[in-house]
Amino acid sequence: MTDRTGLRDAALRHLWMQSGGWADMEGSGDPIIVAEARGLEVFDTEGRRWLDVNGGYASVTVGYGRTEIADAALRQMTELAYYPEQTVTPPTVRLAERIGRLAPGDLERSWLVSGGSEANETAIKMARAYHARGGQAGRFKVISRRGSYHGATAGVAWLGRAGPAPFYDGEPAPLGLAYAPQPNPYRCEMGGQTPSECAVLCAGALERVILSEGPETVAAVIGEPINSSAGAIVPGDEYWPMVREICDRYGVLLICDEVVCGFGRTGKMFGIEHYGVVPDLMTLAKGLGSSYVPVGSVVATRDVAGAFVGEGNAFHAALTAGGHPVATAAALANLDIIEQEGMVGRSSELGDHFLGMLSDMLRSNSLVGDVRGRGLLVGVELVSDRDTKAGFPESLRLPVKMMKRFRERGLLLRMLGPQVLQMAPPLCVTRAELGEIATAVCGVLSEMESELAAA
Amino acid sequence: MTAATETETLRQSALRYLWVHNRDWVEMAESGGPSVIVSGQGVRVTDSEGRSWIDVNGGYSCVNVGYGRSEIAQAAHAQMLRTNFCPVGTTAEPVVRLAAKLAELAPGDLNRVFPVSGGSEANETAIKISRAHHRRRGEGGRYRVISRRGSYHGMTAGVLWAGDGPPAPKSDFGPAFPGMVHVPQPNPYRCELGGATADECAVLCARAVEDAILHHGPDTIAAFIGEPVAIPQGAPVPGERYWPMVREICDRYGVVMIADEVVCGFGRTGRMFGMEHFDVVPDIMTVAKGVVSAYFPLAAVVVSDSVADNFAGGTDVLGHVLTNSGHPVAAAAALRNIEIIESEGLVENADSVGSYLREQLDGLKVDHPTVGDVRGVGLFVAVELVSDRSTRAPFPEHLRIGERLTEKFRSRGLILRARGNILHFGPPLCLTRSDADEIVHAVDIALWELEGEMGMGRFA
Repeated sequence: MTDRTGLRDAALRHLWMQSGGWADMEGSGDPIIVAEARGLEVFDTEGRRWLDVNGGYASVTVGYGRTEIADAALRQMTELAYYPEQTVTPPTVRLAERIGRLAPGDLERSWLVSGGSEANETAIKMARAYHARGGQAGRFKVISRRGSYHGATAGVAWLGRAGPAPFYDGEPAPLGLAYAPQPNPYRCEMGGQTPSECAVLCAGALERVILSEGPETVAAVIGEPINSSAGAIVPGDEYWPMVREICDRYGVLLICDEVVCGFGRTGKMFGIEHYGVVPDLMTLAKGLGSSYVPVGSVVATRDVAGAFVGEGNAFHAALTAGGHPVATAAALANLDIIEQEGMVGRSSELGDHFLGMLSDMLRSNSLVGDVRGRGLLVGVELVSDRDTKAGFPESLRLPVKMMKRFRERGLLLRMLGPQVLQMAPPLCVTRAELGEIATAVCGVLSEMESELAAA
Repeated sequence: MTAATETETLRQSALRYLWVHNRDWVEMAESGGPSVIVSGQGVRVTDSEGRSWIDVNGGYSCVNVGYGRSEIAQAAHAQMLRTNFCPVGTTAEPVVRLAAKLAELAPGDLNRVFPVSGGSEANETAIKISRAHHRRRGEGGRYRVISRRGSYHGMTAGVLWAGDGPPAPKSDFGPAFPGMVHVPQPNPYRCELGGATADECAVLCARAVEDAILHHGPDTIAAFIGEPVAIPQGAPVPGERYWPMVREICDRYGVVMIADEVVCGFGRTGRMFGMEHFDVVPDIMTVAKGVVSAYFPLAAVVVSDSVADNFAGGTDVLGHVLTNSGHPVAAAAALRNIEIIESEGLVENADSVGSYLREQLDGLKVDHPTVGDVRGVGLFVAVELVSDRSTRAPFPEHLRIGERLTEKFRSRGLILRARGNILHFGPPLCLTRSDADEIVHAVDIALWELEGEMGMGRFA
């Protein structure tokens, strides 16, 4: 099976890839089989070179091929690859401390897990259990914002209702979910004309959701500081401070999903730092291990964690790979790189540069409705009409067509849904590479513009 | 820093920053802080103060090849240097090889592999696939999932309410997930339906599955999920007729049968997969733990062609995305792990040493009136303790038998969980007969002590 054809046949026969169907791949030459990767550069078994503009799933934060992380994993796996239940290992403890020191405010205690879905699931359970400890077991509802994404397991898949289609596949949905508007300045559901107006209106709407559900039934509000699934939606400055204040007023816990934003993606260590707000629970994954290892964490404030001390109060929600020594050792090496190489600052500076370059280059393209983002989390929203902001019919299969064109230009870049192009390259990206990406994106969008005009 | 101060620093740091799963840090501090494990070899682990134990639980019954296999570390390292991840829509050689390998090992037409990172994710994915499978075939009304009381399938919301449901207090976890139907566990020692023999219990419990399907309406049932041998009640091995009957019932009513091999898979029961003991092929099989001996987070859903074929392309594709699905390093580690299991005959070893361990434990009945039942298969073994062997009455909870025994085992060189009245054994499959003797000896002494404390020993 060493030959390329054999491998590809075996993939089509035996592998269920989450990115597409095997029958579709048969005709398209997929899947690409990766042989090596460094930085943003990915080389496949046919010797082709690609730039991974998506950075895995916005997850390869330090870039591919960092031998320091591999060596740290090797050392730990050789010494101790796993551990008996209810004991600890040195890297598990060190990672928890490291996260506790990095996290804002008094967020300090880490419940380690293997991924973002597990982290958000655990945070929600923790929020409910926290209220139960305080004699408010009736608080079980979770409010999320329409258009957000928080994971694929059943406790989080319906949050935000922005999971992959067809949505009914996993139904029934769990009970107790309520929805508030997304503070999206480009398409403000509440009719706000500026980011600030939209922010204030959406925060107000969130309060009304709490009131109409009944505050004594609401456990938590969950949101990403900057929404990634709808393409880097940056709320106006007022939004998060207002939401924090509303949560406090009604005794609702604020869960900040930093799975994408965390560890420099938006130009701060954590996305919520842009807003000067400290949540009660923060969830981490992706950038914590840069996809060298599956690792995540729920970080709780002293107050929240304090409820779980004392006879009968312990929280029972163990996951086999939580605190895994190899995952945590690799995560520590990853955080060393992020800090020592100033990647958070890079993200901020290069993000501004990239956003400026894209905005300039795409200004005249009639398909481009909005270019936005923060740090190296950048979104381009495509529209068929700039005035009405109308999208494209799915039958046009825009994502497939665009992906094909990006590939012709050596980019691995997938659209999120039918009209949003999200870019989240590793934070080690160079100015030259950003130029290469911007030029290719601009070129592909010009081609699409002509093609659609001719049609 | 000396080793002692370093340990103390780590302990203090753990107490302040780490939320050890299921523990309370104040209580942990009072009992001396957590053990800091620094190395492992075979069935043994060593802490920072040089103390060593046999890990009779094998982590969470997951370190199948044992600790310290540097070949797996080397394989993971080599892959991490080549590529540590794959961009969206691409894959890498070890992922493809692992998919092919699992398809080769799995029975029947279980040929399509959806890799994920843990058992909860695997069972979530299996349930989602089974519901979507019915929708692709125009049976969108099939959403209910049947599971057995006394089973466990994971901590995320879609699987948490299958089996026994969440741990106590259940009020932490509500509201329950909709569409969950529960049937009895075919536990011969405590048959919920009153079966007097393993076979009778098996038949009654299998019929209860059919009753549940008919009660709720077959056109509302998506899937049945069960472990070949379940863990929470301590490895109750169902009578031989149970699984063939359940298979036949699922077929009759068009219900997808999911075998949760998270614990049983990869040699734990003395066969590669637990279901092989019963000659039954499920429609979907989930694996985790032993597939990579917990050296890396990895799990997989292995799906039959007849189910998977519904999702081959176009609008039929399943919308389900987990960042680490198809992680190349996890796959490389798993391939090497499976090679070790196969080339070192660990499945056969689990079978023979497991039988030996059960025989030796069974011998404890002579001296210890507290040993009610010794059971299991391969190195998936449990001892159920009772306050009265003839009535099978358990010890009252307030006596904290489990905690007291766990403590006694600890001081005698065993990490061995006693949960309530049940001792769970899930050691690495490289366990030798002499390791087994050491374990049985320590259990023997701990039971003498316990019985002495309660005035119920043989010489009391």
